[in-house]
Amino acid sequence: MSLQIIINGLALGSVYALIATGFALIFNVLKFSNFAHGAMMTCGAFVGYFLAAGKGFGLFPTILISMIAGGVIGIGGEFIAFKRIIANHSSHIYFFVSSITLGTLLEGIVTLKVGANFYNYPRFFKVATINIGNIIISKSDAMMFCFSTMALLLLWYIIRYTKQGRAIRSVSFDRDTASLMGINVESVILITFFVSGALAGLAGVFLGINYTLYPTLGSLVVKGFIASVIGGLGSLPGAIIGAVFLGLLETLLIHTVGSGYAPALTFSVMLIFLLVRPQGISGSNIQEKA
Amino acid sequence: MKIIVKKCVTVFFCALVATLGLSAQGNAEKSDSEIVIGCIQDTTGPTSTMGKMVEEGALYAIDEVNAAGGINGKTIKMITYDTKGDVNEAINAYTRAVSTDKVKAIIGPPIANIALAIAPISEKYSVPIIGLGVDPKCQQKTDGTTYKNMFCLQPSTISQGTIMADYAIKERGCKTFGIIYNESNAYSVSLVDPFLNAAEKAGATIVDKVSYNANDKDFKTLLNDMISAKVDAIYSPGYTQEIILITQQARALGYKGDLIFGLDACPPFNTLLGEDADGIYFINNYDASDPKLVSIINDMKQKKNLDITNKFFLGYDIGKVIAQSFTEVGTDSKAVRDYIEHLTNFKGMTGDITIDPATHFPTGLKMVMYTYKGTTPVMLEHYSAD
Repeated sequence: MSLQIIINGLALGSVYALIATGFALIFNVLKFSNFAHGAMMTCGAFVGYFLAAGKGFGLFPTILISMIAGGVIGIGGEFIAFKRIIANHSSHIYFFVSSITLGTLLEGIVTLKVGANFYNYPRFFKVATINIGNIIISKSDAMMFCFSTMALLLLWYIIRYTKQGRAIRSVSFDRDTASLMGINVESVILITFFVSGALAGLAGVFLGINYTLYPTLGSLVVKGFIASVIGGLGSLPGAIIGAVFLGLLETLLIHTVGSGYAPALTFSVMLIFLLVRPQGISGSNIQEKA
Repeated sequence: MKIIVKKCVTVFFCALVATLGLSAQGNAEKSDSEIVIGCIQDTTGPTSTMGKMVEEGALYAIDEVNAAGGINGKTIKMITYDTKGDVNEAINAYTRAVSTDKVKAIIGPPIANIALAIAPISEKYSVPIIGLGVDPKCQQKTDGTTYKNMFCLQPSTISQGTIMADYAIKERGCKTFGIIYNESNAYSVSLVDPFLNAAEKAGATIVDKVSYNANDKDFKTLLNDMISAKVDAIYSPGYTQEIILITQQARALGYKGDLIFGLDACPPFNTLLGEDADGIYFINNYDASDPKLVSIINDMKQKKNLDITNKFFLGYDIGKVIAQSFTEVGTDSKAVRDYIEHLTNFKGMTGDITIDPATHFPTGLKMVMYTYKGTTPVMLEHYSAD
């Protein structure tokens, strides 16, 4: 495998990492897969597009506002789709149904607003590439990798070393006991949804910049889900490891067996993980609600 | 209580009967003064930029005909059906058009996959579909005979692929090519072999040929080998969204050679790309400097603030061909079909159209090669499709 292919794989893996981490964060705290995450990415991506293309915003304000918008959408989603389910300790299946419904609703709103056409982000760089010897690195890929790394390091720091992070970990471990210890579980859940939404907004902007923008952009959440399964559902480090592994695997498969067989083989790898090592690479073993 | 219910039911049924009677009378009045045609297009979905333009062009032509007195005192009414880029939606739309709305002719889609889905079903009816599906399989069965109702008003992919290869080799001096195409798209697949055959016949080398799927968005890995091999040109017959990504990702990998694209690189590709489109060469249906075309372009800009594209003029020509067939042979669908099969020397916006009864494609119709200087399309040369 040439160095250029590895770089392409890492770039792809860094996008998957952003998707997978936002996805894994919700799973980690609430023990369910939020399939509305993809639609939240789409919403964040379109917010960024209208700022960049319509208002002429630069890259950094576009990313920042899209992340805030994604976070707000995350909180709104929690309020609409999950609040009562969590409060009522409802049946597990409702989490799954509600997240699918919320995703469809958000996607429908986006389609109504912008139509089913595709859009293209304005170019943020005059020179698109960085040349290091024979290796060519796309500036947008490099930027995506750096931003993803920074965002994930920041998330790791918050969860590991801050009071709010400890609260998130406590709620993730045992919600009822955390509540008895004086932790405001509701606000922790809101913060979790905000952070997850912000990561969705960030991932959405990068996906829009790299792959054009369309209302069903959120379907790429499947890759995040696969990465989470490979890495270990609910594990944040596992999600990142799984995503980078998936990015490299996909790139290698496309290079060796072609685009036609690559998706089938990727899903086969996921199935092998589920059969042989269901806890994933990281060894996280959380029983999913739905 | 029972009496009140009985009375309510009686009143309801009377009202229903009266309403149905009046609407039937209305339809009868309409059918006396209107000739209904269908327009099956992707007006939403990933290829809606094409479908909307075909619809607008056809409408423009129909409005011109109606404004000039219509067909023997009758106006043409066009009903548009949205396929949403989905073959099942297209089949439902076609069935509704021919069986419920009783259309006399159909303006078909510019999407080969959609035309391929409709083609076998169209055999059961006698309504001609004049479309733009350039894959020969849209018009011809596997045994070589034609689907009786399927017609295309632009040159086939065999002609288009050959023209693009000839241009790249003879005019651009390209000797080595990389080919990247969408294997899940009939249009894209059908443009590969004609190009490949013409290129190899002219002594060029195909260094790398790779395929992608409809959902693929990252083409860097697929492009890697052909770019490393420093090919003179990359040929990619895909839809607009795909070739935008291929352009951006090829340039991001440092590729500075030519990019040869099909009709989907026509405007609005240049505005959607979001950067300079230098080094892109593409095929088109018309010469944009033609004064007749310029006046329509300006008129549409003034009336609807629309920047019209090549698909507009293809839709316009189909609308005019249908109107001419009604004038010449009346509104019987079978007669219209026979007339179109033997259409000769129709002066259209996209050229002089003569349909070959053996293929249901135009014969001898010229096409035009274009490039971009920055984001401005520049016409290069006329080519005969034969």
